[in-house]
Amino acid sequence: MPDSGVSLGIEAIEGATTASLLDLNEREEGYLKLQPGRVTELVGVPGSGLTRLGLSLLAPHSRLAPVVALDVRGWISPEAAWEVGVIAESLIVVRCDELHIWPKVAAALLEGVRALYAEVPVGARDQDLRRLAALARARKAAVAMRPLGQGLPTGVAHLRLRGLGATWEGADQGHGRLKRRRLMLEASGKGSAGVTRRFEVDDEGTDVMRVVSDVVVDQAGRVVG
Amino acid sequence: MWSLTRPDASSDDPVLIGDDRVTGASEDVLAAGVSLGMARREAEALAPFATVLVRDVGDEARRFEPVVEVIEDLVPRVEVVAPGLVFVLIAGAVNYYGGEEALAGRVARELDGVFGHLRGGDALLGIADGPFAARWAAAAAIVGEPQVITDTIGFLSRLDLVTLRESIGGEELIDTFRWLGVSTLGDIVRLPREALATRFGNQGVTAHRLASGEDQFVNPRDVPADLAVDASFEDPLESLDAVAFAGRALAERVLDGLRRAGVAPHRVTIMAEAAHGPPRERVWRSADPFTERSLSDRVWWQLRAWVEAGGVPGGIVRLRIEPADLSGEGRQLGLLQDESSRIETERALVRAQALLGPERVLRGKPQGGRMPQERVAWSRWGEPEIPEERDPEAPWPGATPSPSPALVPPRLQPLEVEWDGGMPTRIRLGTRWEPVLTWSGPWRLSGRWWAGERDADRYQLVTSVGAFLCVVAEGRAFLAGVYD
Repeated sequence: MPDSGVSLGIEAIEGATTASLLDLNEREEGYLKLQPGRVTELVGVPGSGLTRLGLSLLAPHSRLAPVVALDVRGWISPEAAWEVGVIAESLIVVRCDELHIWPKVAAALLEGVRALYAEVPVGARDQDLRRLAALARARKAAVAMRPLGQGLPTGVAHLRLRGLGATWEGADQGHGRLKRRRLMLEASGKGSAGVTRRFEVDDEGTDVMRVVSDVVVDQAGRVVG
Repeated sequence: MWSLTRPDASSDDPVLIGDDRVTGASEDVLAAGVSLGMARREAEALAPFATVLVRDVGDEARRFEPVVEVIEDLVPRVEVVAPGLVFVLIAGAVNYYGGEEALAGRVARELDGVFGHLRGGDALLGIADGPFAARWAAAAAIVGEPQVITDTIGFLSRLDLVTLRESIGGEELIDTFRWLGVSTLGDIVRLPREALATRFGNQGVTAHRLASGEDQFVNPRDVPADLAVDASFEDPLESLDAVAFAGRALAERVLDGLRRAGVAPHRVTIMAEAAHGPPRERVWRSADPFTERSLSDRVWWQLRAWVEAGGVPGGIVRLRIEPADLSGEGRQLGLLQDESSRIETERALVRAQALLGPERVLRGKPQGGRMPQERVAWSRWGEPEIPEERDPEAPWPGATPSPSPALVPPRLQPLEVEWDGGMPTRIRLGTRWEPVLTWSGPWRLSGRWWAGERDADRYQLVTSVGAFLCVVAEGRAFLAGVYD
């Protein structure tokens, strides 16, 4: 698999948040696009870069219609979303930290919002999450869910992106500054054809995020690249 | 208003018409508790004896067309909202016919003459200042007795909140009003509009405007002549398929042109020129700006009505669509933006506002500042934006560099950091200590000393579980952001 970390800065019209459309294969690009009617689960420890990744998934949709970030912690920063290409006028942040009302709010948003990034509070019930996934399918809403507790129950997410870790460049024992992050992800679920794949995403701060390489494929016997 | 009947249903049979919602029903079905607008499944449960017919709006438009033509012969400007409902601007016609009641009586007599007393008597006529009031005046009219409203505000003030259901797109706000003891439109008018805007957003403002009789377009804009589109056909279009295709293409073209101008129409005039006959023309209007789908539907219904009724002898040789009543709501739209998505999103956000309160549905705007907490100017969605306090375009030396932390607490959070010779070595996250792998900083943040603010230092700390923006002031460390 060739390493294709070339930033083409492509302003994708429909779909692509994340750069290189020439060198990367369609599979990797597809992992970083929110599909209408599908739920993408972003799971990993806080600090692994998944909030920024989730916000970047809203970017292409924000050029067409308003998009919403459902913020449970009340900490989501629009500035990070703007940096990864989300149109400032199109981003609405809805703050909801009450567990009992969260499913209703998420459902109300799914009724009309084209693309949603939703933090899932600790303790959200499986049946509520399944209902929300069904509603997303019915309404053709593109959804990224970021569970703050355990992962989503089986059958909810079409694609699961697990943050395995991140490496930072730029800071060095008091010198420099944080410039670039490489986020290692693992894709699994129906959206990756049942195969678990690992790849890296490059985040240079002011540019859109892009896939840089396919680093490992778990399943023996599968063709790589 | 005109009650359309179904030719495929016997007048004796109990009938229920609709798709997802009930749009028509016979009297015995209504007597069983079914109401218009009710979910069809619920209606089927209440009236299991009824025959269910699927709604065909195109066919309804075709059967409604002769009614429109009768009215149009008397008053030139007729605007169709949906099959069964038209608005007529009567300012000039009132003088011509000698008064509002005389005009209404004339319309009723003409309909009687064309459709016979039984059918003509189905027309419900309402006259008022503005379409919303006129629509409910017609609903309150008795067959054969037009309802002429001289005091529109007074009439509106007595209407029940349910009359707002179609215009504000939902029951939730109505339920909330009732819970608050507001039961009529007059009660709404007595509330300050600013308070409704604050509490209920766009929906609240719309409700107040309608209740106040302000349902005219507030910012009508002239349409440049070249935004109307037309198409000529060498071979006249006679088949419905060909007409449908041409109509859809023309509807897409007109909205494409309007999108470039950043506007959307609330009213369109559809014109068709027949090979052997006079040109036909009809105005359609909508409370929401027309989308591609809604406009294509109306063009199709209208053309189908003309073709099937033989109104375009020899086929159609020219089609034209002229937009009017442009909405300023579309001014911000880009070329690829979708008006229907915007409207649906707004409705969803209004529902979220109703659940959470307006202070938790927010939009951010860039503004200047050195800390992430300062660089976003928040305002409530649906309300006028608060002007930024600090110019985002101005230089901000010492600003925290990008990438920005994706998670920013509204206020600095205490953070335990262990130092060794001025260098951070560990930070406490929850119950465990994480070693600092590397860091950058300190960057001095000079406060407004004249206002008593102390200087602070900023650090970017990288651990095995993520990177953090940390502020150290007066010997204490605070979390200012998480690079999540």
